[in-house]
Amino acid sequence: MSLQEFEARQVAARCSPTHNAAGQQSRSKAEPLSTTALILQDRPPYDHFLSVNLPAKSAEETQRHRQQYEEMVAAAKRRELVAAERRQQLMTQRFRQEVEISHATLVWNQHILPHWEATRDSRRARDLWWGGLPPSVRGRVWSLVITNELNITTELYEIFLSRAKEKWTNLSSTNDGASLADSLEIITRDISGVLPSLGVFQKGGPYHDLLQSILGAYICYRPDVGYVQGMSSVAAMLILNMDEVDVFISFSNLINRRCQLAFYRGQHQLMLRYFGAFQVFLQESLPRLFLHFQSSGVTPDLYLLDWILSLYLKPLPLEVACRVWDLFFRDGEEFLFRTALGILKLHQDVLLHMDLISTAQFLSRPPVEELLSDRLFSCISATPMMIGNRNWSQNTPIILLTHTREGRTNSGLTPRSETEFLQPWVRLHGENSRFKVYGDSHCDGRVPELALGFLYGLEPDSMEKTADLRFPCLPELALGYLYGLITGED
Amino acid sequence: MSETYDFLFKFLVIGSAGTGKSCLLHQFIENKFKQDSNHTIGVEFGSRVVNVGGKTVKLQIWDTAGQERFRSVTRSYYRGAAGALLVYDITSRETYNALTNWLTDARTLASPNIVIILCGNKKDLEADREVTFLEASRFAQENELIFLETSALTGENVEEGFLKCARIILNKIDSGELDPERMGSGIQYGDASLRQLRQPRGTTTTQNKQQCNC
Repeated sequence: MSLQEFEARQVAARCSPTHNAAGQQSRSKAEPLSTTALILQDRPPYDHFLSVNLPAKSAEETQRHRQQYEEMVAAAKRRELVAAERRQQLMTQRFRQEVEISHATLVWNQHILPHWEATRDSRRARDLWWGGLPPSVRGRVWSLVITNELNITTELYEIFLSRAKEKWTNLSSTNDGASLADSLEIITRDISGVLPSLGVFQKGGPYHDLLQSILGAYICYRPDVGYVQGMSSVAAMLILNMDEVDVFISFSNLINRRCQLAFYRGQHQLMLRYFGAFQVFLQESLPRLFLHFQSSGVTPDLYLLDWILSLYLKPLPLEVACRVWDLFFRDGEEFLFRTALGILKLHQDVLLHMDLISTAQFLSRPPVEELLSDRLFSCISATPMMIGNRNWSQNTPIILLTHTREGRTNSGLTPRSETEFLQPWVRLHGENSRFKVYGDSHCDGRVPELALGFLYGLEPDSMEKTADLRFPCLPELALGYLYGLITGED
Repeated sequence: MSETYDFLFKFLVIGSAGTGKSCLLHQFIENKFKQDSNHTIGVEFGSRVVNVGGKTVKLQIWDTAGQERFRSVTRSYYRGAAGALLVYDITSRETYNALTNWLTDARTLASPNIVIILCGNKKDLEADREVTFLEASRFAQENELIFLETSALTGENVEEGFLKCARIILNKIDSGELDPERMGSGIQYGDASLRQLRQPRGTTTTQNKQQCNC
């Protein structure tokens, strides 16, 4: 609509003597004008509404209005220009991505996949991998990395599938009907919420039955693990990238990984050790946030549990989660925790001002922003999991293994006496503190707490206060850390 | 979101899986019934500021997972809770029989003075009832619990449950039976009362935007 048309309409609207519906409609249609070109009009000599005569605009006022109007038009043009540029940018970017993907697909298919064992760890493969796998090779690469240590065959899958179907049809007559019915009920309920935006897994959707089959076969295959919420989205993700039997094989083997098994089975001690190890890296890479979390009582389990169980399908949009999976398969469990650090880093500024509840709610569904993938991954790459010259895999075995004397023996390290264990403390704080530590440790077994306090550089006197803070990871982490790192022993 | 209140209470919602804990919370916060509620993993949160006996109290509610598998995880959330809603399902004997276990956990792991409200949920499913009002109220009496039958579907008694719990805690503070200053009481002073918190960088200071001293 041209400016003249707008003006004509505006004049018509103004002249309309009645406030009927049509008049209001045309007024509201002409709304934009009232903020722009109306300012150019001369004032009407008589205001019908107020029943007064209005003074005419002075030359100065007219001039000012004209200037304001021009500024407004210019601003609108600028905005439009920026928006157009932005659209253009997005288009170019999308185009570039398409080109990159097709190029990457070519490299994967011609150079990497045919010589998988030799090239998978090559610089070229790893670099290409970082940007995410092209969708057409994703399923194949995942299968290759997950492998089939459990030696699951097509026949095995079919056996468990038919068993599942059998049990589902006559639930009440079987002995384990109750627990299975329970699982089945959870599965059915859970499936309805799987990747809802795609709509393919919901009842009546093309993959609904397939997803149910995979999960049903799994709970018959591994009753010891059973069904845990979050499994459905993991299976769904595999379904999007692989064929039925491969999904079952990959799913079973994936859940069988150390970290996954610990979380799905709810093995608390092992989970605590993961949380503990994560805390160490959190403190190292985001010290301010670490302290803020510490003081507001935000512990890693509050967000990590959900993130790990859903393998990031809950907190992240599908395409970003895909890339996280790609790198999880490249780097192993370390990447899951690195992703967590990345998410925290990305939102650090907001999180630093949140209390416990807001934080927990925020982190269960972080906001989806433009270019999330790029921004998140630049945060991830800026968060190397290093402490000193140790990385995750060098750190966690120590934290995981040497937290007890038995663990040390099992891992081939010489068990240490309590005296030795406390030596670094004594060295720093003198002989007296040793008695204090001993005294405390004997009356209430607080050695680990003290040890952790030591890690944080706290004085023994301030220990009373630290007892007030929540250290979820306490004993394992502190002891493991002391054994492994502070004494400087490998 | 800045809000002022006199106290902040940490509340737990505990009980077996499928008893409707998350639905109770949802009804309390949103005044709506939550359809298609999934099993809670670990813990979920809700908070609401309520007015009880002239005091504004922020309830910080920890809605825990009922699944046995996550029991060890959820146990770590009990510490420092001032109040709890212990929930069973009146249509499931099993959830009622599990109450003793939940109660032991709550009394040993949370604050010893924890105020517990026993909620027989799903009151609307009268036809499927497996636990009578009488036996549950006897159980409550024996264990010194306040007892209510609730319905997260209709909202009946939901608000009452939370408010009653808060009121009892406030009374205990007034009578000196509960000392908010004591560590792990599950009670903190809010910004409205000009008292100092034990931990000045505590959970209640969203609007202060204070610096983290690191």
